[in-house]
Amino acid sequence: MASIAASSTSFLVERPKWWRDGQVVRRRSITFLQRAFTYIVLIDIAFVFLVPIFYIMATSLKTSQDLTDPTIVWIPSGFFWINYPLAFFSMAYVKSLSNSLYISLGSALGQTVSCAFVGYGFARVRFPGRDALFALVLFTFLVPPQTIIVPLFILYKNLGWINTYQPFVVPSFFGHGLKGALFVVVFRQFFKTLPWELEEAARIDGASAFATWWRIMVPLAMPAVVVVFLFSVVWHWNDFFEPFIYLNRMEYFTLPMRLSVLSPSLDTATGGQASDLFNEALVMAAVFLVILPPLSIYLFTQRFFVESIDRTGLVE
Amino acid sequence: MKIAVSRDDDLAVARATTPVRRRRLSLTTQRMLEGYFFVSPWIVGFLVFLAWPLFQSFFLSFHELQATSLTDLKWKGIDNYKEAFFIDARFVPKLLATLKNNLLDVPVIMIFSLFSAILANQKIKGVIGFRAVFFLPLVIGSAQVIKQLFAQGVGGATLSQGIDVQELVYQYIGPDAAAGVSDLLNRLLFVLWKTGVQMLIFLAGLNSVSPVLYEAARVDGATDWDRFWKVTLPLLSPVILVNLVYTIVDSFTDTFNEVLEYIQQTAFAGGFRLGYAASLGWVYFAVVFVILFVVVRITNQYVFYAGDRNG
Repeated sequence: MASIAASSTSFLVERPKWWRDGQVVRRRSITFLQRAFTYIVLIDIAFVFLVPIFYIMATSLKTSQDLTDPTIVWIPSGFFWINYPLAFFSMAYVKSLSNSLYISLGSALGQTVSCAFVGYGFARVRFPGRDALFALVLFTFLVPPQTIIVPLFILYKNLGWINTYQPFVVPSFFGHGLKGALFVVVFRQFFKTLPWELEEAARIDGASAFATWWRIMVPLAMPAVVVVFLFSVVWHWNDFFEPFIYLNRMEYFTLPMRLSVLSPSLDTATGGQASDLFNEALVMAAVFLVILPPLSIYLFTQRFFVESIDRTGLVE
Repeated sequence: MKIAVSRDDDLAVARATTPVRRRRLSLTTQRMLEGYFFVSPWIVGFLVFLAWPLFQSFFLSFHELQATSLTDLKWKGIDNYKEAFFIDARFVPKLLATLKNNLLDVPVIMIFSLFSAILANQKIKGVIGFRAVFFLPLVIGSAQVIKQLFAQGVGGATLSQGIDVQELVYQYIGPDAAAGVSDLLNRLLFVLWKTGVQMLIFLAGLNSVSPVLYEAARVDGATDWDRFWKVTLPLLSPVILVNLVYTIVDSFTDTFNEVLEYIQQTAFAGGFRLGYAASLGWVYFAVVFVILFVVVRITNQYVFYAGDRNG
C-alpha cells in the first residue's frame, strides 16, 4: 500500500499502465455502465412495442395443434401458411384495401391542402378576431366526435352520403375531419417559423395572396406537408368509429372493419365450415394482413415520423 | 324621376371615387380580407360540420327521436338527462369506470412517454432505430387490431409475468386498489401503445432545451438527477401541459371507451334512440370539458414559461 501511494506521487515512469490511466479508466467504466443500462432499458421498451408484432407473426403460422400445445408459444412447429390465403379471401382483401386507401388517401389529401391553407392564414395574416377563431380551432379538438355524431348522421343521411366516402373526404377539405384541428395547429406553428423576406419579396413583385401561399410558402412547408399527410393517412387508416357509423354495407368496409366481422364472413366463405377453421391463428393472420400496408409504408417513411416534430417546430 | 336621376348621379360619383378610395384602404383592409380568405374554408367547415351539429345535438337532447322515423320529433324537456342519471342503470357505472380508467391511464402514459423520450434522446448509437420502434404503435395501433390482441390475452400476461403485482397490492393496499391495478396491468400494453404522439412532443421539447443550461448546471456541480429536476422538468413544463391536454382528449375519445361504445349502441346498434344518445353525448362532453378545465387550471400554476411567450 505504501509503495503504491509513494509511486502515485511521482510523475515519472515505473508505474503499470493501468495505474497511470486509472482515473480515465474509471470514468469510462461509469459511462460504459450507464450506456449498457440505457441500452437495456431501451430494449425493454422496444420489447413492449415489438412483442405484439412477434406474437401476431408467430401465432399466424400455427396449426390448430400448435395452438393448444402449451410448450409452443413463440416458435410454431412449422410454417402453416394456409391461414394467410384464408384470411385474404374472407376479408375480401383487395376490395377492402382499396376502400381503406380511398378513405385514407382522399382524406389525407384534403386535410393536408386545407389545413396548410388555413394554418397559413392563422400564422401570417393579421385580421380582427384571429385569436378568437384560433381558440375555436382548439375548442373543436376537444369536442368528442360522439357528441355530434347523431346530427352528423342525420345530415349525411339527408345528403345521401351514407355508404359513400363523402363523410370522410368532404369535411377534410374544410380543415375538419379526424384530428383536423391538430393539423391546423401544426401548419400554423410551422409557418410561424419561416422567414418573412421571401413572402414580402413575392408580394412586392406582384404575386397575389393565393399565389404567394401556393408558389412560395407551400414548397417551403414541405416538411410539415409530409408529416401531416403521413399522420392523416395513418389515423384515417386506423379509424374505426366513424366508418362503422357511415358505412353499413360490407362492400364498403375498410380493412380494420373487416377484422370485426371476420368470423361471420368466414362462415359464408367456407360454406359453414368456419368452426373448424376459425381459430386464433387465422385471426392473427388477418391482423397481420391489416397492419401490413401501414407497416410497410412506415418502413420507408419512419424518419419523417421520427423527425416530424423537430421538422415542424411544433414546440417553440 | 328626379330622385332617380340624382341617385344615378350619386352612383356615378361613387364609381369615380371608389378606385381611389380602395387603393388608399388597401394595405390594411386588403390584408384583413386576405386573412378571412385563408380561414374561410375552416369557418364554413366549422359551421357545417361542428357548430350546427353541436347545436342540433343539444336541441335533440331535449327531444325524443327514433332513428326509424326521423321526422317524428317529440319534446321531452330534461327527461333524457334525468333518465341518464336516475333511471338508466348502465350509463353512470360506465361513466365512472371510464373516469377511473383514465385517472389511472393518463399518468401512466405521461410518465412512460416522458421516460422513453428522455431515453430516446440520449446521444448513443442506434438510438434512431429505437425511436423508430417506439413509434410503431402510432402506425399499427388500430383499435380493431388492439381489440383482437386483447381478446387473445396478449395485454398484461406477457409483461407482468414473474412478479405478482396484484397479490402484493392486494396484501398491502387493499382489494379495491388491487382490482384497479390488475385492470391496469391487463390493459398496460395497450396503454403504453398510446404513447407515440406524446413521446414525439416530449422529444421535440427536450431538443428545444438549450445545452448551455445543462453546461451551466454541470459546472455548478449538479448531478444528472439534479439536472433532470431543476433544469429539464421546469423547462419542459409547458410541453407537459400540452401533452396532458392531448392525452386527456385522446384517452377520453378512445374507441376502447365504454361510454362511447354505449352512446353508439344507444344511437345506432339496437337502440336507435337518437335523442337519448345526444343527451348522453352532451353529458360526456360536459364531464370531459370540466376535467380538462380543472386540470389545465391546476397544472398551469406549475408551468414555468421561460422568456417571452408572446411570439
